[in-house]
Amino acid sequence: MGDIILTMKDIDKSFPGVHALDHVNLEIRKGEVLALMGENGAGKSTLMKVLTGIYKKDSGVITYEGKEVEFKNTREAQDAGIIIVHQELNMLGHLSVAQNLFIGREFKKGIRIDDKKMNEEAKKLFDRLNVDIDPAETMANLTVGKQQMCEIAKAVSFDAKVIIFDEPSAALTESEIEEMFKIIRDLKKRDIAMVYISHRMDEIKVITDRVTVMRDGTYVGTLITKESTKEDIINMMVGRVIYEDPKTQSAVPKNAPVVLKVEHLKAGKMVQDVSFELRKGEILGFSGLMGAGRTETARALFGADPKESGNIYVNGTKVVINSPQDAVKYGIGYLSEDRKRYGIVVQKTVAENTTMASMKNFMNGIFINKKKEKNVAQKYVEALATKTPDVDQLVVNLSGGNQQKVVIAKWLTRDCDILIFDEPTRGIDVGAKNEIYKLMNRLVAEGKSIIMISSEMTEILRMSDRIVVMCEGKKTGELDISEAKQENIMNLATREIE
Amino acid sequence: MVNKKAFGRLKGREAMVFGIIVAMVILFSFLSPTFRTYPTLVSVLDNSYYITLMVLGVTFPLITGGVDLSIGTGLVSYALIGGYLIVHQNMPVGVGILACVGMGVLIGILNGILVAVMDLPPFLATLCTCMITRGLGPALCGGFGVSWPSALSEAGQFRYIFKFISGNGTVVPIGIVLMLALVLIMSFVLEHTRVGRYTIAIGSNKEATKLAGVNVKFYHILAYVISGLFAGLAGVAYAATYATIYPGSGAGFELDAIGGAIVGGVSASGGVGTIVGAFLGVIVICLMKVGLPFIGLQANWQQIFTGIVLIAAVLIDVIKKRK
Amino acid sequence: MEKIKQNALVKKVGFNRIVLVCVMLLMYLAFGGLTGGSFFGLSRITNTLNYAYFLGFLSLGVTFVIATGGIDFSIGPVMFCCALVSGYSMITYGVPMVLSLIMSVLIGVLFGVFNGYLVAYWKVPPFIVSMASMNIAKGIAAVFTKTQSVSWPQSATSDGWYRNFVSMNGFPVGLIVFLAVAVVCAIVLNQTKWGRYILCLGSNEEAVRLSGVNVKKWKMLAYVICGTLVGIASIYYVAAFTTVQPGYGDQYNNEAIAGCVMGGTSMAGGLASISGTVIGVFIISLLQQGILALGFTKEYQYIITGLIVIAAVYSDVSARRRKN
Repeated sequence: MGDIILTMKDIDKSFPGVHALDHVNLEIRKGEVLALMGENGAGKSTLMKVLTGIYKKDSGVITYEGKEVEFKNTREAQDAGIIIVHQELNMLGHLSVAQNLFIGREFKKGIRIDDKKMNEEAKKLFDRLNVDIDPAETMANLTVGKQQMCEIAKAVSFDAKVIIFDEPSAALTESEIEEMFKIIRDLKKRDIAMVYISHRMDEIKVITDRVTVMRDGTYVGTLITKESTKEDIINMMVGRVIYEDPKTQSAVPKNAPVVLKVEHLKAGKMVQDVSFELRKGEILGFSGLMGAGRTETARALFGADPKESGNIYVNGTKVVINSPQDAVKYGIGYLSEDRKRYGIVVQKTVAENTTMASMKNFMNGIFINKKKEKNVAQKYVEALATKTPDVDQLVVNLSGGNQQKVVIAKWLTRDCDILIFDEPTRGIDVGAKNEIYKLMNRLVAEGKSIIMISSEMTEILRMSDRIVVMCEGKKTGELDISEAKQENIMNLATREIE
Repeated sequence: MVNKKAFGRLKGREAMVFGIIVAMVILFSFLSPTFRTYPTLVSVLDNSYYITLMVLGVTFPLITGGVDLSIGTGLVSYALIGGYLIVHQNMPVGVGILACVGMGVLIGILNGILVAVMDLPPFLATLCTCMITRGLGPALCGGFGVSWPSALSEAGQFRYIFKFISGNGTVVPIGIVLMLALVLIMSFVLEHTRVGRYTIAIGSNKEATKLAGVNVKFYHILAYVISGLFAGLAGVAYAATYATIYPGSGAGFELDAIGGAIVGGVSASGGVGTIVGAFLGVIVICLMKVGLPFIGLQANWQQIFTGIVLIAAVLIDVIKKRK
Repeated sequence: MEKIKQNALVKKVGFNRIVLVCVMLLMYLAFGGLTGGSFFGLSRITNTLNYAYFLGFLSLGVTFVIATGGIDFSIGPVMFCCALVSGYSMITYGVPMVLSLIMSVLIGVLFGVFNGYLVAYWKVPPFIVSMASMNIAKGIAAVFTKTQSVSWPQSATSDGWYRNFVSMNGFPVGLIVFLAVAVVCAIVLNQTKWGRYILCLGSNEEAVRLSGVNVKKWKMLAYVICGTLVGIASIYYVAAFTTVQPGYGDQYNNEAIAGCVMGGTSMAGGLASISGTVIGVFIISLLQQGILALGFTKEYQYIITGLIVIAAVYSDVSARRRKN
């Protein structure tokens, strides 16, 4: 193994309310592939953003090629040879591959851009990397996999010494991944250091040399890939004490009526033939790693995105849901993971958001009955213990947890019996989290049914009666809470692809 | 053979628009014998110069994802100012032309700053400069119409750039040669220089372009300057083609150019478009303008058709995207 | 300054509105002073009001569209199209006055439906739709009238009663109607489901859609409301000035948008104030009359309005940027 090229020591970074990185250490050597693993929110991406100058660290030291460095932006990091290959690609879809590779540093012949030479150079680069891409092809016409190759090629063309791959395989097919691995092996031979962030255990075993595991913003440890098993890594990832009591037994009777039945739901690559049932008074957990297709399943079910096929039954009756309007009509409410974009209208008041989905109950002829509106909003503010000075407060001024309560109030006002909670506690502090949990338990006790999508293992184990596990757009398993453990869930979620 | 090769170079949309042009010419010729005459051809061309010049410029802001609505009233206003200097201030024609083009560049810079630096929505910023230029010309020149020197006088020789009239009265529309040359030049600029490359890049993904280290603000402003420059040139062409320039006119001229560009495949949301396509699109508009009266429809039908064609062209893109 | 802002009464009325009213009064006094008092004369006041009516209806209409985050700059030419087509029908084909007036409004509504349908259901960018509508409106008006100007009946004629909409024996009926319509607009915007959804979707369309609301319908409605008000504006235009010419009307786009944006309606959508628009319209009208009273030509109106819109939109844009 080569010399150390980069170390990060005692890196600390806080955001308002969140201690994102707590004295994290990292060490990368020349010519190795270092896997960076951890559950969602463990701080992997944040750490890499600190490294490449997107975030400024609060304290700690970064040493690169023997010198202490601090990059102000990605450009500086790039010039120094540290390049990040993003999950979401920074491409110019309308330009050709070669034009993308050399944007901002075109070859010129007088005032004319020498596209011919750029194509040749790109061809050379691709040949060296052994990939088959036509440099003259328009970027948008390539598959996501090929686009990813271009990003990697671009990194190489910058004379990179350290390349960071942020979940590079998320959108790739098997053969594309294989092709990418070939490139990575080739880069290793040239002494380039690489950081590989991924959730796919099988990939980690194949391509990486060492694995560094992070959990809850802290550094857990580093293993040599060859000498460790999948179970070792999983144990390090989840090895936290669960201080909130997990459910051991479901309280839902076995014969409780099925309120929602989904059969063979299909919607693109992320939702492939998903079927499940939801019973009255039940919390059905949806577990899986980022990109497993859980949110996509929920959105397709709710009619927010188009679906290709699949049957949906509400209370035993087959229903057609083509838009959120239809879903709401059948008493389904959806609480999005991204509240600010999909959940609330931040520039409007608590009362206005509360009644958004059920205006027609608040009409007095053609006028809005603002008194009733305020009363109902006030009722839910009290019932949910929402912290707001009054119901005329703009939602933008509320904290995350309280915004979430406003969204819950919106669906309760609409009298929805089936609620889909997508990451209900993301970005919410611990105290407020507990309140949301209590609230969810109260709702099911009152006879509502909840689908809860969560990437937090503790949340899944604490709240769910049954757990559906998804991986790569497919349902890979269903567990009763009595048999569910972190290890077997993680096993299903990272299941190797047949 | 050469023709076939040239035609083969036209891609999808351009070929389609070229087909429409051919169809229109055949239709008009079939319906009206007078359409098939040399004077009609000259008249089509005369009417097309200033619109062609506008479209050569406005394609750049369109490709950045913006728009320039100030070119129509702008070109009239610049021509007024130029004419005023020549006729009322006794300046040489050259100075008038320079003033006309220079004003265009100035307003282009203003538009660029409003959009790229101050971050105003392009349609609103240029709607304002549209009104400002509309007022500016008459305000500076006293609100009277201006006639640039006629082709008969020595100072009016500049009109020959567009339409050469020989001693025995033969009319040669040499302007078309100039237009084709400019189409080639601007096509080169858009496709083979940094200016064009970054214009497309800004329209495609402005943030990514910035991340690649491109001085996005500069090139964004430049797109509007090019638009202004060509509006100035269009002013000269307008002054050369028409006898008198009336203050207050020019509103709506920009639509002929922008409509033409969009018909020719320039995307209203940026990133896509070619100069050749935009040029062909403008010819469609010009043919409508001149051709409709020949088949018994009033000239103003052209406005209605332009509006409908504009919507249709955008709808084609919208439907394509849905699929 | 902060103290004034925190005052209960000031808060209730709105600080910005108070500033706007002060600007309006100061402008009025300034024009009066600069013209040696002649600006205070009755004729100037009448002119200002006549201008404010039709512009006010345009501005109220476009307020709804801007509240959705869209734009409509076909309103000026569409207003002329309404007045020309119905006026020409009346004079040439003998259509009764009442029907002509109804026709004016209907044409406005039709354009509203056309614009709204394309923007909401087909997602055509609003500025493209505006450009197309502008052309179509001008074209229809010109073709229909054979590019002749149309003169609606004078007050003395038997059909001249429609001019009473503006003023009856010196009593400013127009002012009453305009303010009444403004109140209705304010109620629609703030007290009804229509306005609620229009404002909310202007602020966050996706969140409203995911609440199970038919956002397309409500978005289109905003354009239809706008079209209706443009139709009414056309009646007030002819009732004040009688003569309409095809090929014009562009300048009023800017003036209407200026009134709206000055009044505090945000170009980004979601935030709209009818009372602000009303004050904004009076400021613009005063300005137009003031410029003429000072002996400048209408060209200066164009320039100054253009600059005002730029300033108003820029302050809106930079305020939003500060917030983020």
